[in-house]
Amino acid sequence: MDDVSFELSPGEIVALLGPNGAGKTTTLRMLGGLIHPTSGSVLLDQQIVTAATASRLRASIGFLTEAPGLWERLTVRQNLDVYARLHAIATPRLAVDRMLDLFGISDRARDVAGELSKGLKQRVALARTLLHDPSIVLLDEPTAGLDPQSAHDLRDLVLRMRDERRAVLLSTHNLDEVDRVADRVAVLRTRLVALDTPTALRTRLFGRRVRVELARDAASHVSFLSAGGINDVKVHGAVISVGLNEHVTIAGLVRRLIESGAAIHAVIPEERSLEDVYLRLLEEPE
Amino acid sequence: MKRIPPLVAKELTELRRSPSIFLPALLTGAAAILYPFVIAIIVPYFAGERLSNSGDFELATQMFRSQPEARRLTAEGAIQAYIFEYALVLMVGLTTVTGSMAVAAHSVIGEKQARTLEPLLATPVTTFELLTAKVLGAALPGIALMVACFTVYVGAVAIFAERGVWLMMLTARSLALVLIMGPLAALLGLQLAVCASSRVNDPRSAQQLGALIIVLPMAALQIAQFIGGVVLTTSMILALALLLCAANAVLMSVAIRLFDRESILTRWK
Repeated sequence: MDDVSFELSPGEIVALLGPNGAGKTTTLRMLGGLIHPTSGSVLLDQQIVTAATASRLRASIGFLTEAPGLWERLTVRQNLDVYARLHAIATPRLAVDRMLDLFGISDRARDVAGELSKGLKQRVALARTLLHDPSIVLLDEPTAGLDPQSAHDLRDLVLRMRDERRAVLLSTHNLDEVDRVADRVAVLRTRLVALDTPTALRTRLFGRRVRVELARDAASHVSFLSAGGINDVKVHGAVISVGLNEHVTIAGLVRRLIESGAAIHAVIPEERSLEDVYLRLLEEPE
Repeated sequence: MKRIPPLVAKELTELRRSPSIFLPALLTGAAAILYPFVIAIIVPYFAGERLSNSGDFELATQMFRSQPEARRLTAEGAIQAYIFEYALVLMVGLTTVTGSMAVAAHSVIGEKQARTLEPLLATPVTTFELLTAKVLGAALPGIALMVACFTVYVGAVAIFAERGVWLMMLTARSLALVLIMGPLAALLGLQLAVCASSRVNDPRSAQQLGALIIVLPMAALQIAQFIGGVVLTTSMILALALLLCAANAVLMSVAIRLFDRESILTRWK
C-alpha cells in the first residue's frame, strides 16, 4: 500500500471501497494498530500508533473483523464477557447485558456461539465491537452474507453510531449500502484513488445534469437553448437532459424553456449511480 | 496482567467443552502408571519369583537404600520402591507434557484457524498477556492431570506393593519432582509449543517440537536412573528446577519476539 492519507472525524462515516486486494483490510488493520505501516503513521487523537502505544490506543477502537471470530464452544454471554474483561470494563456483566439488549440477542445469551446463524454471529460480533464504547469503529465488510433484514438492521446501527459521534470506517463491496450511510467515500487501489462525498465524486466524474420532462417533443427547443449558451443537451422524445455548470443553473434553464414556449411537467436532478462512479474511478489510469 | 485471568478462564471453559483433547494424555498417563506395576508386581507374581532373589537390581537398590527412608523397607519393598519412585520421572514428564502439549499446540494455531485471533489481537491485550494466558491455560489442565495420575499411582502402590513402599512416593525428593519439576518442565515444553505454534501453521508440528525437547531428556534421565548412572537427589531436583525457571524466563522473552502479529495476520491462511 502507498500514499493513503486521510482523516476521520467524530460523527463521520467513511466507506472504503476497492477491488479485492486493494488494501481495505490492511488499511483497517493499520488503523486498528494490528499491523504497523512500513512508512508513514497512524494518529489517534493526536497520538501516533506504535508498537509501544498500540495496546493502549486499541482501547478506543472497536474493530469488527471480516469473520465474526467468535469462540464457538463458548456461549454468547461468555464470548462477550471475556471481551468485557479484556477491555477492563468496570461492570462487565452490566455492559454485556446492555449489548445483548441493544442487539436483541438477550434470549440467545446462553446459546453456544457455534450453533448460531451467520446473521446472529455477526450481531454478537458487533455487540463485541461496541462493548467498550469505542470512539472509533472499524467495520470490515459488516453486511457480507447477511440476509436483507439483518443488513438493514446493521445499517440502522451504523447510522446510530454517527448520531453517537463515533468515527466509523466501513469497508464494503456493497455500493448501495455506501450510498445509504457514508458521508464520504474513499476508493483504494493499493493507493488512495479518491476521497470525497458521493455527490462531489459524481459531480467530478460526470458533472451535474438535470432532466426536464415536457408536455410535447423536446427537439424543437434545442436551438433556442443553444442560442442561450446551453449546449450540453440530450433529447429523448419529450425528455430533455441538460448538463449544468456555473453558467447553466436549473432556474436559468427552466426560465429559458418557458421563454421558448415549453410546457414543463417535471424537473428532476439526474444522479449517476455510485457504481458508475466507482467503475469510472477504477478505469482511470494510475 | 489483569487480562490474563479472563483469557485463562476462557481457555479452561473451551477445554471443558472438548474433553476428548485429553484422551491421548489420559492413555499415556495410564500406560505410565501401569508399566512400573508390570515390572515390580505383575511379572514377578506370574513368574512366581521375587525381585529380591534376582541380582539384577542389586547395585541400584544398594544406592537407593542409602536414603534413610528406604532403610526400614524389606529387600523386596526396597526394590519395588526403587522402581516405583524412579518411574515417577517418566510419569510426571509424560502426563504433564502430553496433557499440556495437546492443548498448547492448538492454542495460537487453533485461534488462527478459527479466525478468532484477529478480534482478540484488536483488544488492548499485550503479547505477554496473550502468551502467558495460553501457556497457563494449557499448563493447568496438564498439571491437574499429572496430580490426578500421581494420586492414583500412590494409591495403587499403597494397595498392591509391599507395606511402607507408598510412603517412599511422598518423600521430599518425590514431591519436589511432582510439584516443582513437573510443572516447570511442562511450562518449558508449553512455551516451546507456543513458540512453534506462533511460527508453524500445523498443530502437529508444534506439538512434536515441544514434546521432543521435553520428553526425550526425561526419557534419557529415566534410563540413566534405571541403569544406576544417575541418582536424582532432592538438591539436584531443586537445582534443575532453578535452571528450568531461568530457561522459562528466557523462553518467554523469545516467544514474545517470535510472536509476529503482522505475519500471523497477513501471511497465515
